[in-house]
Amino acid sequence: MSSRFRAVSAALIAMVALPSCDRETRENRGKPLPESVPGIVGDPRAAEYEGNAFHIAQGQRYYVWMNCNGCHAHGGGGMGPPLMDAEWRYGGSMEQIVDTIREGRPNGMPSFDQKLSEQQMWQLAAFVRTLSAQPRQDALPGRADEMSNIEPRTLDERRPVERTSPAADQARPR
Amino acid sequence: MARTAAGNSRTLPWLRLATAAAFLFAPTAAGSQARAVPAASASPPDDGQWVMPAKNYASTRYSALSQINRQNVTKLKPVVNVATGHKRGHEAAPLVVGSTMYIVTPFPNNVFALDLTKPGAPVKWAFKPRPRRAAQGVACCDIVNRGAAYANGRIFFNTLDGQTIALDAATGKEVWRTLLGNINKGETITMAPLVADGKVLVGNSGGEFGVRGWLTALDAGSGRIVWKAYSTGPDKDVLIGPAFKPFYPMDQGKDLGVKSWPPDQWKIGGGTVWGWISYDPKLKMVYYGTGNPGPWNPEQRPGDNKWTTGIFARDIATGQARWFYQSSPHDLYDHDDINESILLDMPVNGRVRPVLVRPGRNGFMYVIDRVTGQVYSADPYGFINSAKGVDLRTGRLIPVKEKEPKMGRVIRNICPAAPGAKDWNPSAFSPRTGLLYVPHINLCMDMGTMEANYIAGTPYIGADVKMYAGPGGHRGVFTAWDPVRRRKAFEIKEDLPLWSGALATAGDLVFYGTMDGWLKAIDAASGKLLWRIRLASGIIGQPVSYRGPDGRQYIAVMSGVGGWAGAIVSAGLDPRDPTAALGFVNAVRDLPGRTKAEGRLYVFALPRR
Amino acid sequence: MRRLLPGLAAVALVACEGRQSVTGGDGLHSGQFNSLFLIFLLVTAFFYLLVIAFLVAAVVRRRGRAEDRPEKSGGEGGFRLILIGWVALVALGLTGLTAASYFSDAAAGGARPANAIRIAVTANQWWWDVRYLDPVPANTIRTANELHLPVGVPVHIQLKSNDVIHSFWVPNLAGKQDLIPGRITDITLIPRKEGLYRGQCAEFCGLQHAHMALDVTVEPMETFEAWRRSQLRPAPPPATPLAVTGYNYIMTQECSACHNISGTPASGQVAPDLTHIASRRSIGAGTFPMSRGHLYAWIADPQSAKPGNHMPYVGLEPHELHGVVAYLETLK
Repeated sequence: MSSRFRAVSAALIAMVALPSCDRETRENRGKPLPESVPGIVGDPRAAEYEGNAFHIAQGQRYYVWMNCNGCHAHGGGGMGPPLMDAEWRYGGSMEQIVDTIREGRPNGMPSFDQKLSEQQMWQLAAFVRTLSAQPRQDALPGRADEMSNIEPRTLDERRPVERTSPAADQARPR
Repeated sequence: MARTAAGNSRTLPWLRLATAAAFLFAPTAAGSQARAVPAASASPPDDGQWVMPAKNYASTRYSALSQINRQNVTKLKPVVNVATGHKRGHEAAPLVVGSTMYIVTPFPNNVFALDLTKPGAPVKWAFKPRPRRAAQGVACCDIVNRGAAYANGRIFFNTLDGQTIALDAATGKEVWRTLLGNINKGETITMAPLVADGKVLVGNSGGEFGVRGWLTALDAGSGRIVWKAYSTGPDKDVLIGPAFKPFYPMDQGKDLGVKSWPPDQWKIGGGTVWGWISYDPKLKMVYYGTGNPGPWNPEQRPGDNKWTTGIFARDIATGQARWFYQSSPHDLYDHDDINESILLDMPVNGRVRPVLVRPGRNGFMYVIDRVTGQVYSADPYGFINSAKGVDLRTGRLIPVKEKEPKMGRVIRNICPAAPGAKDWNPSAFSPRTGLLYVPHINLCMDMGTMEANYIAGTPYIGADVKMYAGPGGHRGVFTAWDPVRRRKAFEIKEDLPLWSGALATAGDLVFYGTMDGWLKAIDAASGKLLWRIRLASGIIGQPVSYRGPDGRQYIAVMSGVGGWAGAIVSAGLDPRDPTAALGFVNAVRDLPGRTKAEGRLYVFALPRR
Repeated sequence: MRRLLPGLAAVALVACEGRQSVTGGDGLHSGQFNSLFLIFLLVTAFFYLLVIAFLVAAVVRRRGRAEDRPEKSGGEGGFRLILIGWVALVALGLTGLTAASYFSDAAAGGARPANAIRIAVTANQWWWDVRYLDPVPANTIRTANELHLPVGVPVHIQLKSNDVIHSFWVPNLAGKQDLIPGRITDITLIPRKEGLYRGQCAEFCGLQHAHMALDVTVEPMETFEAWRRSQLRPAPPPATPLAVTGYNYIMTQECSACHNISGTPASGQVAPDLTHIASRRSIGAGTFPMSRGHLYAWIADPQSAKPGNHMPYVGLEPHELHGVVAYLETLK
């Protein structure tokens, strides 16, 4: 075997092996946490959870399990405001979202303080952030929890009713 | 059906002649036997007022005033145009008692009394009930209110956070208030109460939150609960006793409200009573429908899920059930059965019978005997592919197997969609034409179901829905239905879903509104559009007609888009998510460009001579 | 080699431990599969031996150099005969195997007797949600990670998955059947022998795939009916002050957001039903045997017990933990 071949193979193996050094940590349990101070910006956990594939995937699951989708749909809103637009009534940072989940909000957002653990709230916030922000594509879960959205297949082609003058557009013989 | 409509409009002059002739000979002619008339005891002669949203106990929404007619309707002009100060969905009907008009706004449910004797109808008094803000988070489909009711000098109305309040109609002072609902469990109240026999009948909303539905009767004088009938659970809670005689075997048996559910599920099983109540003073029976079972995902609740998605007849004094008919046993598609029941006397198979006619949410027009609960007919009045029909022998709806939701799957092209062929917005019945005027929708849906988790005070649904226009591409339909001949007289296709009520008048006009803000008047016989006007916002309210203090006839309606259909505008939802507002957003993605959130009261009249 | 032997023996013997054994044959279908296996073994062994015999014969006959042997004439006919015989034998063997395999498969897949007990099993990462269906919906039973089956009675199981592909496998009773999201598959079992068996997820489904077991109890009809009746009972109210503490914690805090306990306000649907948890043989889908100590360990820190499972580390205070365990122990 030539020394050149050896060098090339070594380089190749290194290329394959090195990315695994950057594998993100998967913290199942949540670290023993300091007492959280709600609402402050700059909580070190924000960076830890945001953009982390494992946490986003967990958050996506809790989003359905905790019935978030019942009010906020899959970001478009319903009984609750949309989460996929740029408007945040109570702030859109990780810390503020966790605060909203934990404390609830006066116009109807219930408090999940006693329904979710601290870590679950952070994971949920990490997922909620992906709805509006531009998330790292490699961190997004491969699965979608909402139904697949193909264009409507109506039984008839979807076409608007022609709008003409008031007298003509009603009860027209067809 | 289209052929019928076409035939009608082509033979218009003929038809008019025939109708006119029929009117002339109405009392004696044999032809009158072939027409439905409202139950006499439930529809007293019109006094020119409008004291309850349905006009009368028979729920005809028909005004006997005829000053505004087919000839002069084009001269109709707004005479009052006032802002309510709120910009969410205005579903309420204005009330008119004497020379005062009463309106209820959506949350925070403020009540205004307007003096009709003065120009511009200035506010006589205003009442602010100050409901709890958190109630907004558990209102499934916008924070609407469907109106107040007047009786014996008092105004009765419900607040979103579950209270019923009685006000002195003259002064606006609170007489009593009773807390009935618990918003922490997801209970709200959006319906308009019905006052009858000295009782205020109120039911709860929250079928999307796993609440347990009920209808309660409060003493109109004191606000104390006289009786409360749940829609699920053991017979004693449902007020089922020896007097209960349902017509069909499927509704007979002991404690079906428990047995037809998996253990404990009836406690969070829905069956809310958020729609319309009718009352027959002769039989002393109230009729009302129950809402969907929870959750939407049907696989989590095997069984018939009694007594949801059906209609109850109850004795008004005791609340004891007399009969029940379940229109959608084991409901698959959120087809609440809360729509209005119009009490009519009409010939069925050669005999005049006391019936109630219901445009069901599942797309069938039911004609049911008021006394026995027997279904005489159930005919589709919209496009249905989720059911093959109703078996009149057993009373059961015959579902289509392929359209049954399956967990983890998406079932496509289910018609009608979750809001049904028609939702809450009430129809009107004109005794002059014998036709029922039904504002409704033409939507289909894709539905994906998954396991729903129950957490008190959060939604309990377990379904992703995406709605879109049904066959034909139009989303709304206005149908004139002949209940005796069991067919459409005519049909008007509307681009947007129809979410407003209808009003019929003795001027042979029918009024309804569209979600892009047009208030329309059509010929009651032919459906020809005679007049229309564009209002500030989409109309999802209920038009009414009354005689003003000056003796003139007026038409009043609230304009303020919203509700389930209009939440995309009133709540500013994001059209990019097809599942938003439980899937309705996908069907009305164009609405934000066609109307805006507003809240106004309009009154129209002919110019003074 | 000598040192390795006991280890190898241990590996081999695991299969003989009765609870999870492919050769158990304790169900009608696993019995059929055993017979099928035996047929395959015998047929293939026969052919193996035949081939080996030919090889040996060839080696023996061909000893020596080729040019030393005179060219034989007239051997063609014999060779053809042997060739035809060989092909016929192979065809016969393959046909036999195919038929045997077809008939056992048909028996396992086709049987859906009308008198079968109907069960719906939904797989989740990483536990089994079990519902006993009944024509009267109020008699539906919900439990988790366990199956109680009466001996000799066919059981029809509907299989669904809520997340990824899993596989239902109780080797003593029947073959494997995959659970695929969005589809309903099914399997029919007819247990023939009373006993305690272990089912195991047989399709890799994530971190805790190994800890996704199913306790199967095959028992006489009377015992089964007694179990069924007991499962229909709602949870008793907490009796001791300690249990009341636990009850209050469960109802108002995290637990009830996911778990259901019939007869109480706890109605969560996304985690195992706890109404009769203390009557089960194990916790955490076969992770630990049921015992007070393991309940403590599980609730105090489920993430050390079964890392990655969806029950979060909540961090209960000691008195809360005592209370919750005391209450759960009453849920027989």
